[in-house]
Amino acid sequence: MLRFRTLLAGPSRKRKKNPKTRRRTRAARSDAVPGKQCDDADVLRQPHQLETFPPEEEEEEDGELGFRLKRSARSAHGVQPLGNLFLSPNAANSRNAGLGTLQSLTDELVLEILGLLSGTHLGILATVSKSFYVFCNHEPLWRNLVLEALGGDFLFNGSWKSTYVAGCHPSFDVGSVGESGLAVRDFYSDYVFQSWLCANLEMKPEWLERDNIVRKRGISVEEFVRSFEEPNKPVLLEGCMDGWSALEKWNREYLVKTCTGVRFSVGPVEMRLEDYLRYSDQTREERPLYLFDPKFGEKVPVLGSDYEVPIYFREDLFSVLGNERPDYRWIIIGPSGSGSSFHIDPNSTSAWNAVITGSKKWVLFPPDVVPPGVHPSPDGAEVACPVSIIEWFMNFYGATKSWEKKPVECICKAGEVIFVPSGWWHMVINLEESIAITQNYVSSRNLLSVLDFLKKPNASTLVSGTRDRVNLHNKFKNAIEAKFPGKIDQLMLEAEEKAALQKKPSFWDSVTDSKAGAFKFSF
Amino acid sequence: MSSSPPPSSAAASPSCPKKMIALRSSDGETFEIEEAAALQSKTLENMIDEDCAGTPIPLPNVTGKILAKVVEFCSKHAEPGVDDESLRAWDAEFVNVEQATVFDYILAANFLEIPTLLNLTCNVVADMIRGKTPDEIRKFFNIKSIFSPEEEEEVRRENHWAFE
Repeated sequence: MLRFRTLLAGPSRKRKKNPKTRRRTRAARSDAVPGKQCDDADVLRQPHQLETFPPEEEEEEDGELGFRLKRSARSAHGVQPLGNLFLSPNAANSRNAGLGTLQSLTDELVLEILGLLSGTHLGILATVSKSFYVFCNHEPLWRNLVLEALGGDFLFNGSWKSTYVAGCHPSFDVGSVGESGLAVRDFYSDYVFQSWLCANLEMKPEWLERDNIVRKRGISVEEFVRSFEEPNKPVLLEGCMDGWSALEKWNREYLVKTCTGVRFSVGPVEMRLEDYLRYSDQTREERPLYLFDPKFGEKVPVLGSDYEVPIYFREDLFSVLGNERPDYRWIIIGPSGSGSSFHIDPNSTSAWNAVITGSKKWVLFPPDVVPPGVHPSPDGAEVACPVSIIEWFMNFYGATKSWEKKPVECICKAGEVIFVPSGWWHMVINLEESIAITQNYVSSRNLLSVLDFLKKPNASTLVSGTRDRVNLHNKFKNAIEAKFPGKIDQLMLEAEEKAALQKKPSFWDSVTDSKAGAFKFSF
Repeated sequence: MSSSPPPSSAAASPSCPKKMIALRSSDGETFEIEEAAALQSKTLENMIDEDCAGTPIPLPNVTGKILAKVVEFCSKHAEPGVDDESLRAWDAEFVNVEQATVFDYILAANFLEIPTLLNLTCNVVADMIRGKTPDEIRKFFNIKSIFSPEEEEEVRRENHWAFE
C-alpha cells in the first residue's frame, strides 16, 4: 500500500489570470521528476539505489487516502513527504546536508533561485549534492528554459530536461542517459513530493461521481432562453452537434494533415500541431501545456467550416465590430490532466463548449459564490488559486460536500455542449485527450452587463482578447446603436421594469403597509 | 494583487505629518516605517488596507537586526527622485554582506512579500552559484556531498553536457 502523510503547505501559491486573455501566466510550479518506476510502495520509503527497473504498469492505491497513480507514473527520485520524516527512525533530512548554508531557505525559494540559472549552470549544480540533484531535476525549471530557448520549436523527448539537452546540446547523446536517474535516500520535502504527486495522480472516482447539471435534448431556442439564458443557469445540451462534420472527420490524422505548417497557440508559445501532439503524448505534468488557439478559423478556414454554432447561440452581438471584435472562438486540444483552473470568462460574456473527442469534467459555481481555495483580487484582475486542478480536487473539493448549495458538476462527452452563463466560475479538466471548440458571445440577455463591464475604470486591464481595450466600450455601444437602433434603450427599459416588478409588493402587502391605516367601518 | 503603485509621492508638508506604521520584530524591537515605504511589502499593504495597522504589527518571522535593514531598504525604494543608476549602486552595497544575512533578507522579503528585495537577493545567490565548479560550490555553501563514487559518476555522466 502506498502510505504517506503529507503536511501540505498553504493552498495559494501562484496568481493566475484568465486563460482566455492574451497575457500569459508563468509556467507551472511543479512537474513529475523523472526517475525509475517503483513497483512496491515500501520502496518509496526505502528507495533503492541506481538500478533501472523495467517500467511497470502500476496502479497503487492507499486505503486511507485512496490515491491512484497514473499508469506511467515515474518515481520522484525517492523523494518523500515531510510527514514520513517524522515517522522515520533516522530523522535526518538529506535535503539539508546537501544544501549546506542554503538549508534555511524554503523549497520554493531554492527553486526560485534556481529559476534564475541557465541550463548549463543548472546542470553543473546538479552534480554538487543529492539535494541539488533533486532540485535541479525539477521539471518546471527545464520547461521554462526550453520555452525561453526554443519557443515552440522543441521536440519533446520524454522530459523537459531531456528536451532541453537534446535541443540545446545536440552533440550530447541524450539517449545514453536512461530515464531512470538517481534515487535519493532520506530526502523529505512536501513541495517536491506534492509536485510529483499532482503530476502523477489519477482523478479519484468520487471526484467524478456528482453529475447534477440539467441535461436537455432538442429544446427550442425560446425554451433555452427562458429556462437557462435569462435566469443565467448552466445546462448541458445534447444532440445539437449532430450536423457537425467535425464529429466524423476530426481525428489526429485529419487534423495533422489539414494543419501542416500551421502554428497554434500553446501557452506562451506557438507550435505545430504534430509537435504539440508528440509532447502531449509523453508529458506527465501537473499542469500540461494546453493548445488553446483563438485564431484557428483564420489559420485553417476548413476547420471553421467543419462545425456550426448551435441554434441557441446564433445571436452574436460582438460581430458588429467585425475584425475589431475580441477573440471569440477557440480550438482546445489537450491531454488527460490538462484544463483550466477556476476563472470567470472575460468581458462578462457567456460561453458554450462543445466536445468533439474525449471528455471533460466541469465544476461550476454561480457568480456570487467564490469557489473554496480561490482568491480573486479586489479588482477582479487576478485570481489566486491552487496551482493545479488536481491539487484543487485533493484539497478543496471535499469542502463542497458539506455545502448546502453544491456546485454544478458534470462530465461532458463527445457530442455534448455545455452552456456556461455569464459570470459563472468554472473549472475544467480533460479526463482523456480531448478536442473541443468553445465560443464566447454576447446576446440580448447579457448585452447590458457586458457594456457595464466594459465601462469599468479598470477596463484596460480586465478586458481581454482585443488590442484596443480602452475604447472597446464606446466602439461596441456605437456599433450596436448603428445596427440595432434603440436596442440598448429597450433592454434597459425591460430591465427597469423587471426590477420594479420584483420590488413591487403585492396588493395585500401594500394594504397592510399603507399609512392610511386599516380599513375601518365607520358608522 | 493590487495594481496601484505605492504612492511614493506621499510627500508631506510640515503641517501634515507622514503616516507612520509601527512594526515589532520577533525579539521585541519596534521600528517605525513610513506608510509609503511599508507599501513595498504586499503583506503590510494588505494589513494597512484592512486597517490593522493601528498597533505595532508583530512580525514573528523577522529579527530586529534584519527588520532594521528591511525598513532601510523599503524606505530607500520609496524615496522620490532617486535615479536608476544610483539606486542600483545602493542596492549593490545593500547586499554586500555575508551569506547568512543575504539568506535572512530572502526569507524576510518572502514573508513580507517585497518583490524588489526578493528579486535582488535571489539574484545575489544565483551569482554566487554561477561560474563555480562543483567543488567550489560545495566549499562556498559548506555542503557535504555524500554521493558514493558510482553515484557521482552517474550524475556527472547525466550532466556531462553542462561541462563542455
